[in-house]
Amino acid sequence: MVDVTMNRQGRRVLFKHGTVLKTVVLALLIALIVLPLLRTVLFTLQPDTVKAWSDVLTGRLSTNLFYKPLGNTLLIGVVVASGCVLLGGFLAWLVVMTNVPFRKTIGVMATLPFMIPSFAAALAWGALFRNDRVGGQVGWLQGMGLDIPDWLAWGITPTLIVLTLHYFSLAFTIIAAALATVNSDLVEAAQIAGAKGGRILMGIILPVTTPALVAAGSLCFAGAVSNFATPALLGLPVRMQTLSTRLFGMIEVGQVGRGYVIGILLVLISGAFLWAGNRIVSGRRSYATITGKGGRAKRFDLRSARWPLCAVAMVILISSTILPVVILSASSLAPSSANLFSNWTLHYWIGPSSQSIAQGIPGIVHNQDIVRALTVTLGLGLAVAFTGMFVGLLASYTTARFRKGWMSAVITQVSFLPLLVPGIAFGAAYIAYLGAPIGPFPALYGTFALLVIAATAYLLPFSVQTGRAVIQQVGGELEESARITGASFARRLSAITVPLAIRGLTAGGILIFVKIIRDLSLVVLLFTPTMPVLSVLAYRYASEGFGQFANAITVVILFISIAATLIANWLQAKSQPWLKN
Amino acid sequence: MGPEELLPLAQEEGKVTVYSFTSRIGKVEAAFEETYPDIDLQGFDISSTEQIARLQAEAQAGVTNADVIYISDTPVVLTELLETGIIAPFVPPRVADRVPQEYQSPLLAQRLSTKVLMYNEEANPDGAPVTNLWQLTTGDWRGRVVMVDPLQRGDYLDLMTEIVLRSDAMAAAYEEQFGKAIELGDAANAGEKFIMDLFANDVILVGSTDDVNVAVGAKGQENPPVGFTSYSDRRDNEEEGWALQVANSVEPAPGIIFPAVLALAAEPNNPAAARLVIDFLMGDESETGGAGLAPFYVAGDYVTRTDIPPHPDAVSLSDFTAWRIAPNETAKIRSEIGDLILTLQ
Repeated sequence: MVDVTMNRQGRRVLFKHGTVLKTVVLALLIALIVLPLLRTVLFTLQPDTVKAWSDVLTGRLSTNLFYKPLGNTLLIGVVVASGCVLLGGFLAWLVVMTNVPFRKTIGVMATLPFMIPSFAAALAWGALFRNDRVGGQVGWLQGMGLDIPDWLAWGITPTLIVLTLHYFSLAFTIIAAALATVNSDLVEAAQIAGAKGGRILMGIILPVTTPALVAAGSLCFAGAVSNFATPALLGLPVRMQTLSTRLFGMIEVGQVGRGYVIGILLVLISGAFLWAGNRIVSGRRSYATITGKGGRAKRFDLRSARWPLCAVAMVILISSTILPVVILSASSLAPSSANLFSNWTLHYWIGPSSQSIAQGIPGIVHNQDIVRALTVTLGLGLAVAFTGMFVGLLASYTTARFRKGWMSAVITQVSFLPLLVPGIAFGAAYIAYLGAPIGPFPALYGTFALLVIAATAYLLPFSVQTGRAVIQQVGGELEESARITGASFARRLSAITVPLAIRGLTAGGILIFVKIIRDLSLVVLLFTPTMPVLSVLAYRYASEGFGQFANAITVVILFISIAATLIANWLQAKSQPWLKN
Repeated sequence: MGPEELLPLAQEEGKVTVYSFTSRIGKVEAAFEETYPDIDLQGFDISSTEQIARLQAEAQAGVTNADVIYISDTPVVLTELLETGIIAPFVPPRVADRVPQEYQSPLLAQRLSTKVLMYNEEANPDGAPVTNLWQLTTGDWRGRVVMVDPLQRGDYLDLMTEIVLRSDAMAAAYEEQFGKAIELGDAANAGEKFIMDLFANDVILVGSTDDVNVAVGAKGQENPPVGFTSYSDRRDNEEEGWALQVANSVEPAPGIIFPAVLALAAEPNNPAAARLVIDFLMGDESETGGAGLAPFYVAGDYVTRTDIPPHPDAVSLSDFTAWRIAPNETAKIRSEIGDLILTLQ
């Protein structure tokens, strides 16, 4: 609070640089992001837990506790990131620079896989490829009489495939946006000079888009190394552990110290790779295409390769979007995943409890747990969409309006910090942070508030990014003139910025909504039986062998996600110029 | 207070939350709400290991979610939950004179449960395909022994711990099987050697006992695996199409038998309803304990009430060769065994 008796001069100094606003935002970000991480580190340094560091790093347990999972984690990161850049880059090139048939369809479909929860793809993989290694129901292919080997059913191979098919759409979005800005003058000049397609690609397009390729690769890397659901569902039966499954296992069995240490190391690793990616890009700063805006380049004519390349793209896209949806829907109806397309029943959806099926678990419509989880999940999505956009807008407004000063720089840096923190490590940090009472504030363990606060903090990089885009859309002049006529900050925000930005805000809010309702890694540790969320319930049903219920719940999440995503895309159509003709 | 005095208070509370280590809580919930329609029982199926982690976290947060705790893993429960004051004992006075003292203190044991070697009796009509635990470490059983990851489920860690505690018996069984004295190699004792050999023989670890049951018990298998699971899961043979049977005569023992205990939260939100649930779970005055005990009055579970006759279809407790765990002894080396298993995975 500013002292009301403060003289005019003092107030002007105070407000000139937005000191109050910056302080408030910075304090908020520190409370949301820095303190939980700090709390985790401090926890592991207590006298009775500090031994966890040597257990994890040097003791006789370290091989299995850390180094082997680390090896798997890095392998996953590198292979998935490379695969994603290749797939995403290929599709982006097709959509943006060529005359491939169904360009628009390919463009829309390529953004969808990232909206499908990665555990959905893992479950779908199981429904198809599961073999009899762990007994229970076998997948469809084994049921058809094919002998699926272990390496195809479980472990590293399916994990790599599923994660690549999940994250490539992230790479696509980034690379497509970059390709759309490649200056057509350069390409045309090269064409006139007689350069062939391959040479244009290697000599002009690739160098110009390097920052996007690196950014896409490092984001896919960070996503893949921190992914929990896929290695947990596909890897554990063959004892394949990654750092995130180890972290989860340790915390679940109460070895919290070791769990936190693994979490901290995981943060450092994904942070190091993102940082290295940034370094590579910023080391060569001459990516700017110098001339003014050129017209849209003539599309590269694929000639006879048009249809074959279209077919290749379609195979990739169908197997990463439509196929999982079809398989999951079918297996939520089929009593046996070995016969995916026969004896369909709606029991797992609407059936009453029956002693002879699945130990009396009723269909998901009648299942109190699931109905409660649906309410909590939707509530969480809505709440986080609001809080996320609020904080995101506040932070990006502050940094856009008051660019100068160290505080703005710190605000920007801190708000992107959660990108480096895998969801499961973030969840662990929040348990350490708000799991116990702090001074007069009660502990939030097991409350809705904890979920909302943790999710808001976790998604801040996205909400700040969206907030920034929104602020840039709204010209500064309007706000400036309102300020001159004496409108207050709140009034300017509510009368000018928000009304003008409402479309962008809504779209951003929807994306945050989708991100959180399909998230498993953040909530899997924050989950308590009295505050259930859908994704964790699905994971639990899947790991206890009740695949149909898991799949039915996943189908519900999927449809909510896809519907919301399409709405957001439609609202945001302007931000995807590569889809325009 | 007996159920009559508890009921009006419990009705006023209107609901009660139970953390249960067995999925049978679903059946208990239905039976309880039928008997006491005004009280909403919310049952959560949470493994003992996870219950312990959650109850500790909740206690640290000063939150009480559960009123009643139904749990195994006594080696950890006694030290981490009872001694720290997170849970409290309660023995319904109605049955106090019919439960042996050893099962009333420090916590009330409702029944004894098991983790023992089971096989598929459809594929092995002449009896267990295994007669000595050491056979599980031989080529015949490579990749064909299933159990739950001992780092995920405490009762499996107790089983592994017991095998180490019974190292002398394991050494004797080794000699019997292979005709020579055991060579320990890197292992500290015969029990550890067995665990190391079992893991080296590609033991299959799964996430839940139901996965073990299906893998071992599913009918129509030509060459089914064997696995460690609950003897009482045989109760589901008919419903699920399984053919589970216990390998009771395996040397030196098929596994462990341990108490499943009932406790109150230290400060339950619904104290009367919580006590009523425990009273209900101990069974009524009918011959086999009525609806509350029905899910547990099955072959392979040994109810602690002395006036309830043993289940006719099960090996009697005196003929059952599984080792009885001593929670205090188990607690001493349990985390060490956990670390050993971590190095083997």
